[in-house]
Amino acid sequence: MKEKLSREEVLHVAELARIAVTEEEIEKYQVELKKLLNDVEKINEVKGYDDEILIAPWSHNTDLREDKEGEMLDPKKVIENAPRHSGNYIQVPVVIGESEGA
Amino acid sequence: MTNYIATIGVEVHVELKTKTKIFSNSKNGYGQMANSLTNVIDLGYPGTLPTLNEEVLNLAIKAATVLNCKIRKEMHFDRKNYFYPDNPKNYQITQFATPIGYDGYVEIDVDGKKKKIYIEEMHIEEDTCKSTHRGEKTLLDFNRAGVPLIEIVTKPCMSTPEEAKKYLEKLRELLLYSDISDCKMEEGSMRADANVSIRKKESDPFNTKAEIKNIGSISNVGLSIEKEIERQAKIYDAGETFKPQTRRFDDKLQDTVLMRVKETGNDYRYFPEPDIPFVIVTDERIEKVKKEIPMLPDERRLKYQELGIAEVNANKIVLNRSISDYLNNLLDEKINFKTASNLLLGDIQAYLNKNEKEITDTTLTKERFIDLVNKMDDNTLTSKNLKDILDKVLESDKSISEIMKECNVENITDDKAIKEVIKKIIAENPESVADYKAGHDRAIKYLMGQVMKETKGGVNPKMAMDILTEELN
Repeated sequence: MKEKLSREEVLHVAELARIAVTEEEIEKYQVELKKLLNDVEKINEVKGYDDEILIAPWSHNTDLREDKEGEMLDPKKVIENAPRHSGNYIQVPVVIGESEGA
Repeated sequence: MTNYIATIGVEVHVELKTKTKIFSNSKNGYGQMANSLTNVIDLGYPGTLPTLNEEVLNLAIKAATVLNCKIRKEMHFDRKNYFYPDNPKNYQITQFATPIGYDGYVEIDVDGKKKKIYIEEMHIEEDTCKSTHRGEKTLLDFNRAGVPLIEIVTKPCMSTPEEAKKYLEKLRELLLYSDISDCKMEEGSMRADANVSIRKKESDPFNTKAEIKNIGSISNVGLSIEKEIERQAKIYDAGETFKPQTRRFDDKLQDTVLMRVKETGNDYRYFPEPDIPFVIVTDERIEKVKKEIPMLPDERRLKYQELGIAEVNANKIVLNRSISDYLNNLLDEKINFKTASNLLLGDIQAYLNKNEKEITDTTLTKERFIDLVNKMDDNTLTSKNLKDILDKVLESDKSISEIMKECNVENITDDKAIKEVIKKIIAENPESVADYKAGHDRAIKYLMGQVMKETKGGVNPKMAMDILTEELN
């Protein structure tokens, strides 16, 4: 088992998390992240773990919500909570990648 | 057309017609003031927990059923992780490992031939907030955040832009008729992406594919696929290749253009959503939902034709959901359906279009409509007279006979009365009578015209013609 992650692996994770890392930190995380991964790997050793995907610590059906309208937030309060806004819109800087998500 | 074989797959996002959002009880609405339809769950505030809307589950089961999908009985949700301002939780709740529907199909008709378009899977997910780019800033409206969606993914089984368009039309029709979504592409409640790749022969391996995102109309889906096939063909013809890429259809250019997407963007690190336990879909629920599905378009078209309505008219009726529902309400009645369909698609539809109304907005009850059809059918009411009284028929509650009496368009159906008029016309037009007897066909038409003029169109034309001929001979 290798002792640390590669430099590229650390940079990839940093990119996904949108954080900047220094040279010093890269070296530190190469070791630390690998340790964390090794600890998580241990779960795989538990017998029977592969039988079913464990999502919740109980197995009963989820409670469904009736399709009925409830209280909503005052738009003014919604906007106040954002650092910047333009009219009723929350304003953010343009980010590359025109359509992520759905 | 190029010398290549195209392979096309289509992904469609459809907003579900629920009252509230998928995981919160704020209103699911469109076209309202920005950020006025939200609560702490939609905004991704820390510590909030999602609860699944029961109606979302029901509509997804309904969609899976009309798309002939198998339904998964035990499923869960997954987190799709990414950083982007359209989703402040930094993950979208979706179904990655256990989509609710799988292995389905939709049947389309291309040039008279039936073809099955296979559906790989359909899953439930939440919509993101709507972001609008304005120069250096992006404006966010969270009204759309948490609106329930289903995403329907086909197998790469289409080979022409025409097939993709037919598939989308069929899909839209099925979802509209089963009340799953209002499917308005112009409002974004139905959005389509197309995956396109081309190759020389069926036996060749698949080539690089391009994904065209967020195409705004069904006709543009066809056009963008056509353009994309041409673009890829040019590249291969020049002996070059291209990288997998995301493109979009540019309305002004009428062509696809490359989108700026971060190359590291597709590492979503899916894992099961721990805040929502298993969802069990019971057989009772499936049965209950299936019972709510109304007669679907294909069955309606067949039924209408069985009742004597021409194929072209049957198709036209199905294009208008409220007219089709109106007619379905009459299926057990003993009326002339040909007359009924002509009425609905002719004068009534013209009135509805002109007044921007649905048939349900008019006063034309089932009973009054049956009366109208019968009166047209036995010529008590002529098409000309119908035009004169139509507004009253559709706007007042009076019986058809009452309206006819009021507007003085009562047909003379009494033999004796018609005979009297005809005798009078014959007496007044000896020249035409002589012409008729000399074998000039036009003379009888002139005499009929005089009869119609005298009665202000108020006689049954066939009956009048019979009597006129009888009297002349």
